[in-house]
Amino acid sequence: MLEKVAALLKEQLDLDNVEIKAESSFKEDLEVDSLDLFELVMALEDEFGVEIPSEDLEQLTTVGAVVEYLKNKGVEE
Amino acid sequence: MKSRITELLEIKYPVIQGGMAWVAEHHLAAAVSEAGGLGIIGAASAPAEVVREEIRKARELTEKPIGVNIMLMNPNAPEVVKVVIEEGVKVVTTGAGNPARYMKDFKAAGIKVIPVVASVAMAKLMERAGADAVVAEGMESGGHIGSETTMCLVPQVVNAVNIPVIAAGGIGDGRGVAAAFLLGAEAVQMGTRFIVAKESIVHPNYKEKVIKAKDIDSEITGTSTGHPVRQIRNQMTREYLRLEKEGAGLEELEYLTLGSLRKAVIEGDTVNGTLMAGQIAGLVSKEQSCLEIIEELMQEAEAVMKRGYEAWAK
Repeated sequence: MLEKVAALLKEQLDLDNVEIKAESSFKEDLEVDSLDLFELVMALEDEFGVEIPSEDLEQLTTVGAVVEYLKNKGVEE
Repeated sequence: MKSRITELLEIKYPVIQGGMAWVAEHHLAAAVSEAGGLGIIGAASAPAEVVREEIRKARELTEKPIGVNIMLMNPNAPEVVKVVIEEGVKVVTTGAGNPARYMKDFKAAGIKVIPVVASVAMAKLMERAGADAVVAEGMESGGHIGSETTMCLVPQVVNAVNIPVIAAGGIGDGRGVAAAFLLGAEAVQMGTRFIVAKESIVHPNYKEKVIKAKDIDSEITGTSTGHPVRQIRNQMTREYLRLEKEGAGLEELEYLTLGSLRKAVIEGDTVNGTLMAGQIAGLVSKEQSCLEIIEELMQEAEAVMKRGYEAWAK
């Protein structure tokens, strides 16, 4: 699922030449600001068919955290 | 001019005063509410107990509803939320962040929640989280800003959500109000014009700078820190922008602006103070009472719309 999330991130945020790892922090490594995060949430919802309530956004600090979050929501590998 | 916002907030006119740090205190908020708009106390980084005092003092001046703007980035935001609920405030606008985690408490207290949004996606998610309306704020605004313009942001947010949209950023007279309504907004939020209101406690030196400002006199500092701020250019902004150009760190930049807004608002230091104001300062030309400002805005807006209809749409 990491690959899928990474691919989505690359497309959504135009991160063409950036290596995306599980431990990549949105803020520090990927320079994703809070507004980008809202965009990303919408894209994740579309891609994985889940609803991500806005109060959960604070948990989504790294790419790995997103993967973990989706797994907990029942998204299959 | 009635709209879903005037109904929702039980106000006479669809005009909301921006929650400007230091500027939006009880005198101004009460005067705007008393004039038929919605006055807002800007909690900014004030201690929660100071916010409580401000709410109470505003209530001594008006029985009409007043709101509080909570800056979510501020570490004491949870305490401010508590105070707002305890004091029975009916409307909250939120800035600099995502209010979703407080939504349940606000709703339980019967508070109308109006987040300030800077993008379409944020507006959509706020609607889903239970927001009653959103303020779509363009980068023409003063103080902390996003990067989209009011002209582009407002119609896109209007398309994206079903809750009413309040336009902010670059609105300074009745033409701006009319334009915002034609873009689909149902109210406006204004800051800069209220800085120079008679009831505003802003130092006369600061007011004079706003009144004398020309169209090109505002500057954006702090882009390198990720928190851009629009203000009127002065010695402070020149120094700040020079440091930013040289690649100065956050600490050095923060030291320069430490207490600088207070310096401008309270002490009237127009050299080293931060003179936050929107781009529309160039259009703001005189000090008037809040009642004069709001009534003039509404008369102008209606006249402009009638003229427009006669000239272009009949």
